[in-house]
Amino acid sequence: MTGNPSLVDTVESTQSREIFWDKDVYNLELERIFGRSWLFLGHESLLPKPGDFITTYMAEDKVILSHQPDGSFRAFINSCTHRGNQICHADSGNAKAFVCNYHGWVYGQDGSLVDVPLESRCYHGQLDKARLGAKHVRVETYKGFIFGCGDADAPSLEEYLGEFCWYLDTIWEGAGGGLELLGPPMKSILACNWKVPTENFVGDGYHVGWTHAGALHGIGGELAGLAGNRAEMPFEDLGLQFTTRHGHGFGVIDNAAPAIHVKRDGWAKYLADTRGEVLRKFGPERERLYVGHWNCSIFPSCSFLYGTNTFKVWHPRGPHEIEVWTYTMVPRDADRETKSIIQREASRSFGTAGTLESDDGENMSSATFVNRGNITRDGRMDSSMGVGFEGPHPVYPGIVGSSFIGETSHRGFYRFWKELLDAPNWDAVKANDSVWDSVFLNRDYWTAKLDAAE
Amino acid sequence: MSVERVLAGLDVQYAIDMHYRAEVRLWQTGQYREWLNNMVAEDIHYWMPIYEQRFLRDRRPDPTPDDAAIYNDDYGELDQRVQRLYTGTVWMEDPPSKIRYFVSNIEAFDTGNGEFDVYSNVLVYRNRRQLEMTVHTLGREDKLRRVDDGFKVFRRKLLLDARVTQDKNLYFFC
Repeated sequence: MTGNPSLVDTVESTQSREIFWDKDVYNLELERIFGRSWLFLGHESLLPKPGDFITTYMAEDKVILSHQPDGSFRAFINSCTHRGNQICHADSGNAKAFVCNYHGWVYGQDGSLVDVPLESRCYHGQLDKARLGAKHVRVETYKGFIFGCGDADAPSLEEYLGEFCWYLDTIWEGAGGGLELLGPPMKSILACNWKVPTENFVGDGYHVGWTHAGALHGIGGELAGLAGNRAEMPFEDLGLQFTTRHGHGFGVIDNAAPAIHVKRDGWAKYLADTRGEVLRKFGPERERLYVGHWNCSIFPSCSFLYGTNTFKVWHPRGPHEIEVWTYTMVPRDADRETKSIIQREASRSFGTAGTLESDDGENMSSATFVNRGNITRDGRMDSSMGVGFEGPHPVYPGIVGSSFIGETSHRGFYRFWKELLDAPNWDAVKANDSVWDSVFLNRDYWTAKLDAAE
Repeated sequence: MSVERVLAGLDVQYAIDMHYRAEVRLWQTGQYREWLNNMVAEDIHYWMPIYEQRFLRDRRPDPTPDDAAIYNDDYGELDQRVQRLYTGTVWMEDPPSKIRYFVSNIEAFDTGNGEFDVYSNVLVYRNRRQLEMTVHTLGREDKLRRVDDGFKVFRRKLLLDARVTQDKNLYFFC
């Protein structure tokens, strides 16, 4: 499948339906997408003390993320190097060591093999424990968010996020406190390809009014006008959409950060109290983003809604199934009550029983499984909305689309997905750094639009 | 559970059993508004906490209503969930899905003042579209209050017997 130009056509803005169904594509994704990318592991707030650990996944690999005595974080594969048994079965905790259930091999907080039962009598001094530590993955953090990577040749996390850091800083740093995550995560199985929710979060403002019509009626407020697509709205004045070098992207609805929350006084006040400092630090373009609602995906499989403050990881489990993990993002320096209400509201909308979540799951599953059909699968999907109404912007990095309802960040996500899938290694990806955005052909869209406005 | 608790009398056990059957009938026939109006007290706390998989030696306390939860609703929030189902725009329920409840092991304790602590087990079977089928089992801890000739629930704690929900959502009443 690699090198097959038909999987993603960046000229026609279409994708083959095989990308949601084919096992070979999926196996290549495990190796070339998940095996090379920085994958979300956790947030410092989830394991604040030395010895704290959480168990999670990097794609289908089980991983232990562990807070070290020196304050750093390490991650290692959750599998004993003796006979492969899973080392730790708890979701989280605090441990001086991890003991395998099978033969009792003991791993330290850093994953090194520290004790082997009956070692001197049964191994006769021949066991080289230093070589048998649990397999490590790279760990780096950005503003408290912890990522892991299985590719020694991948760029640093900060380079991987690239110009997307410019955007993330707006909220992950904000006025100074930044964001943290509240767990434990809700976990649920959804029968869909992992890219369906990722593309939905990265750039699908279009579905909001129709898929969520019922829920929006109940919530009311700013977004009620979207419900059922009935209102006449000036979509080009309501927000923007962004994509960046490595496929990370988002759409923003202006002035709508807490719009999905019914009980929002504390969160709205927090934003009102801190936006001045964000304006001072980051300027008006990012202050605009700070008080907007974001639908965002960090390539490949981590998504969040800033404003609604749900934070998701889509762990793939084969081409047709994912495990959805749902955390809540809250401002680190908000008061306890505000954090608690944000958590309740985020769970009520996008938790496992969420009023909007259940609408989405239905679509994601059926968009995957219709492709079981041979005639169906021999067809294409379209992501052409807003082609040409996008381009480089004098202030915002990456490529900027003219409306939050568009498919700029969809196209950007699949552009990079194809690039990484085809590339033999990270060096080949880096070679495209100066030309990556050439598929977005209208280079003058923003200069013309901004000139006309003056 | 304290051994000193007073089991409710046979007549009350029977009445609560019948109350739960009527509640299930309302859910199975889509009469969510009638359920909320007639069987749920306005001071309801409707709660499905998240229980992590933790080691036995882990001394962290059990979840409280201030922690992450799948449901953590007051009356107004339950009312919004009900309202959504009547908008006519919830596409996942059109055509409607099937749901069947089996409530068993009902144990009612009289806590005085016309209030009862009631424990029960619930098995929920959902069947959607052509082939989607899911089963959930839950423990349920209720506080019921006598009203007129019936009961209203004012605390409902739902203990889901799964760490990872094997379903695309848990948007059903229980």
